[in-house]
Amino acid sequence: MSEQAGELKLERLLADALRPVEPPESLATRVETTLSSIAQQAAAELSNWADELSEGEREALRDPRNWVRPVAAVAVGGAAAAALVLVEARRRRRPHGVRATVERRIKDLT
Amino acid sequence: MPGEGEASGAESSTKAPPADKAELDRAFTDLYRTHLRDVYSYAYYKVGNHHDAEDLTEQAFLQAYRHFERARRESNGRPLRPWLIRIAHNLASNYYRDRARRPEANIEAVEPPAHPHETERVVEGREELREVIARLDDLPDDRREALIMRFALGMDNREIARALGRSDGATKVLIHRAIKQLEELMSDE
Repeated sequence: MSEQAGELKLERLLADALRPVEPPESLATRVETTLSSIAQQAAAELSNWADELSEGEREALRDPRNWVRPVAAVAVGGAAAAALVLVEARRRRRPHGVRATVERRIKDLT
Repeated sequence: MPGEGEASGAESSTKAPPADKAELDRAFTDLYRTHLRDVYSYAYYKVGNHHDAEDLTEQAFLQAYRHFERARRESNGRPLRPWLIRIAHNLASNYYRDRARRPEANIEAVEPPAHPHETERVVEGREELREVIARLDDLPDDRREALIMRFALGMDNREIARALGRSDGATKVLIHRAIKQLEELMSDE
């Protein structure tokens, strides 16, 4: 048998041997049930979240004028934190310990 | 068996941007119905038994569902079957790693399905088919998987390449070598 004919025969055998396998019907039901339950849960959570907000709150969330305060609060908070970090860094740079304290006192007196 | 032509019906919607959640769910249902048998067949030939194949198939579709919107967006209308098979392939690899085992039995020895499909009846009567299936287990994983995708799922080289993350050329060579090696193994018998 020629090489090509041998290959063709083997391909035919493979096609016969490796047939697609039908999934059991229970699997289709199982997957569909799981998927629809996930979709329903997601929809319910979204709906609950929306329901928890009053109409006024939802309007307020959408209005960009109401975004100024949170942004300003974050900016002020950030600046305060930076200032605290600077003060702490300067404090740490100052020499400390008994000798440093005595030297500072002498310097203050003179 | 759903080939490229049949799959295109379910996947034509992949070209359109998702309108809303309901539309996305409908598209996924189409994809799932079209390819359930492909994913199940692949899982079955990978793990060698129906019970684990069912679990793997379910997990594969759940994972696909989570990432479906992005996959659809990034597929640019290309078929999503290779993506599904790749998910099943990765899950099957984790399955082996987690259980630190290979399939306990080769395909010919797996438990019969509840409704025996034609393959098993044919195999019973034909020694050559038995031998092919037995020798498939002796192939390296990538060659064996490429043959499963080609013959059990009817995937073309391009689809197999996408599922395996290889180039089209490398996949063509892989399949050619797989068939050659299988032929040699059978002639050694």
